[in-house]
Amino acid sequence: MPDPDPILGDLRVLELSEGVAGPFCTKWLAGLGATVIKVEPPGCGDVTRAAGPFMHNVPHPEESATFLYLNTGKQSITLDITTPTGSAILQQLVRTCDILVESFPPTYLDSLGLGYAALEPQRPELIYTAITPFGQTGPYRDYKGSDLVTQALGALMHTIGLPDREPLKIGGQAALYTTGISAFSATLLALHVRDLEGHGQLVDVSAMETLTVAQIHASLQHQFGRTPVRRDSTLMPAQDGWVHAGLERGIGEDTWPRVCELMGVPELANDPKFSTREGRREHQQELQAIIGAWTATRPKEEIYHALQNLRTVAGYVATVEDLFVSKQFAERKFFQPLEHPHTGKVLYPGAPFSMQGMSWRHGRAPLLGEHNAEVYAHGLGYSADDLTRLRGLGVI
Amino acid sequence: MTKQALDGLRILDLTQVAVGPYATLLLGFMGADVIKVESCSRMDISRGAARPAPGSDALYPGGEPGERPWNRTGHYVHRNGNKRSLTLDLATPRGKELCLQLAAQCDVLIENYRASVMDRLGLGYEAMSQANSQLIYVKISSQGATGPERDYGSLGSTLEQTAGLASITGYEADRPLMTNETYPDPVVGMLAVGALMAALRQRRQTGRGTFIDLSQREATASLLGDAILDYALTGRVAAPMGNRHPHKAPQGVYRCQGDDMWLALSVSNDDEWQRLCQAIGQPELAQDDRFNTNLARYHHQDELDALMSAWTQTQDHYHAMHLLQTNGVAAGAVLKGGETIVDPQLQARGFWDVVDHPEAGTYKQVTTPWQLSKSPRRPACPAPGLGEHNAEILSTLLGLPEAEITALEAQGIIGTRPTGA
Repeated sequence: MPDPDPILGDLRVLELSEGVAGPFCTKWLAGLGATVIKVEPPGCGDVTRAAGPFMHNVPHPEESATFLYLNTGKQSITLDITTPTGSAILQQLVRTCDILVESFPPTYLDSLGLGYAALEPQRPELIYTAITPFGQTGPYRDYKGSDLVTQALGALMHTIGLPDREPLKIGGQAALYTTGISAFSATLLALHVRDLEGHGQLVDVSAMETLTVAQIHASLQHQFGRTPVRRDSTLMPAQDGWVHAGLERGIGEDTWPRVCELMGVPELANDPKFSTREGRREHQQELQAIIGAWTATRPKEEIYHALQNLRTVAGYVATVEDLFVSKQFAERKFFQPLEHPHTGKVLYPGAPFSMQGMSWRHGRAPLLGEHNAEVYAHGLGYSADDLTRLRGLGVI
Repeated sequence: MTKQALDGLRILDLTQVAVGPYATLLLGFMGADVIKVESCSRMDISRGAARPAPGSDALYPGGEPGERPWNRTGHYVHRNGNKRSLTLDLATPRGKELCLQLAAQCDVLIENYRASVMDRLGLGYEAMSQANSQLIYVKISSQGATGPERDYGSLGSTLEQTAGLASITGYEADRPLMTNETYPDPVVGMLAVGALMAALRQRRQTGRGTFIDLSQREATASLLGDAILDYALTGRVAAPMGNRHPHKAPQGVYRCQGDDMWLALSVSNDDEWQRLCQAIGQPELAQDDRFNTNLARYHHQDELDALMSAWTQTQDHYHAMHLLQTNGVAAGAVLKGGETIVDPQLQARGFWDVVDHPEAGTYKQVTTPWQLSKSPRRPACPAPGLGEHNAEILSTLLGLPEAEITALEAQGIIGTRPTGA
């Protein structure tokens, strides 16, 4: 049962965002109790509804895993903000809202009379979070971004991958998700200021800057006299996947002999090539081969637990499937069931942190335009006939 | 002067190495008073050794450890700007007592030790909230405060693996790769800022502090939530796909002129493809029916990549990027460390702060990933020397007289030199 006063329960958020970063930001605002109204174009809605992967391998606007995950807990209204009527309706909505999150190219909303400069006088308390690939200003302002392009320009990619191959991106849409996290924290910083001072402001979030904050190493190494380079991966095959032994750093004096014992080669503990940390680093290739011979015969989780119990920083490459069988995730109740008209009850990844005295709101993603009646009729006082007219005009 | 967003917020920072220091660096930029607590016998590991062995791989300016190497390592200096430094030996009763007294003067305590460490020291949430019922205790840990793996140790690279991110990173589907970066650390550091803001709001609502349990593994897993949900819906296990996109092409990274220089590009639709063909002066490509629809391009990706590569190899990466971008095509030079610090966009945005560090020299400091129009960040302050603010903090916050501070130093409970220096 949700607690009576969720932290953001008094707030209304308008989301004018497609794709990943904006929706990820407001997903967490909804989780903390805000009412989040997602404004989608009539007809197709958020483009992510058309992006897979799809539940039945056939495109369907209510069955995109990416959309379903990114838009939990929100309401959906349809609105064509490019029309004067639509723009006027949006401004009506803005006057009832505390936060607006958008991820259009810079100046686009300004051109519709819906930018921060136009809205601030109407609602000085408004927090206006604008998420873009490069920020609201600067020579790259009007450039196009993507997850890959952002990882490249974020100076993170150049040191990832194998030395004799092209730089490699971090998988999935990591850069866009991270930008959503950056926007979430930045929005809550602005809210903190508003709670204390009473005024809103423009929150300018740049994906390129977000990634540059994440890279620190490359810029740092360069400045302190080293050339950052791509290095080989030290993952080793296990019987059913991949592991990392975690023996490079910070392990205790007695750990190495115990690892040797575990691997069934106790005599190696006294081999001067491997008995010191420096020695292990110097003879890394050989060491990899020895450990790899052992790990190849064991299941990855068994290796992970065994080496962790010897106080190493061992890891195993968990697949999405493995996350569901992890006892740690189970004990933490990380996965949350959500019921949806098209998917039935399915387990979703849950909250990114917990807080005493607060429980996250877990709700499913909305159907397209599901809350038109609630928001326009109950909220703004439009009659059913008005809604029919607006629908006929293509405004909603 | 404009008041800063977190003016007046005082944070007792017991974090070390990466994830926690990133969070408190950002909080410091927004105006919080961050008091970084270490002990002389257990400094922040990123300071390196008190007496570094020759050939140590810690990052010193120009490779020189210098007189006080523990104040000069790149990783320490870069992540710990905007903070004051206090040393306290938390293993001693007096050190513990002083820590609790300080907590009573602070709004927030933040730490990123393995799960049980602070509890075993008698400085966990229970003890802290007795000292200060308003205290917000932020616990960042690899696995969370509970669970069978809560005492497992992790580096950022371990978390990439155990959170699922490594399983979708690699050139080929059957070979995941380590990034050799510590990606989960800055990401979760950024998230911690938002989590703290939420807790501060709750405190204003309830009048009480709270305990935040932030698991890096769980937070990192959220970065692949779509793939996780896809598994739950369909049983599909996501695998690496190099630099490619699930359905758009061309997308990849292509070699350019020069040493290890590359261009990333991603074409999302047919119009963008047409513009690319025009921009690179190959309009006939736009007519080639191997490539003139998204689906066709997807199925002919290998040929496409070869064609793109043939063009980029004749180009400077930045030049190619600007050419394509001014023609409405998403492209990005793959920047090296030395390039990002002089990139024109970041310069125009004021993203890099030049820091003159008294012991580590002058360098460019990473700042914040956001810009708040009415709450600008502070300019970066140099990372403090070990115990640099001992006297200032103990006298102004706890009212300790000079004689007592001198005595504490003599007893080794506070100090400015690491044990063994």
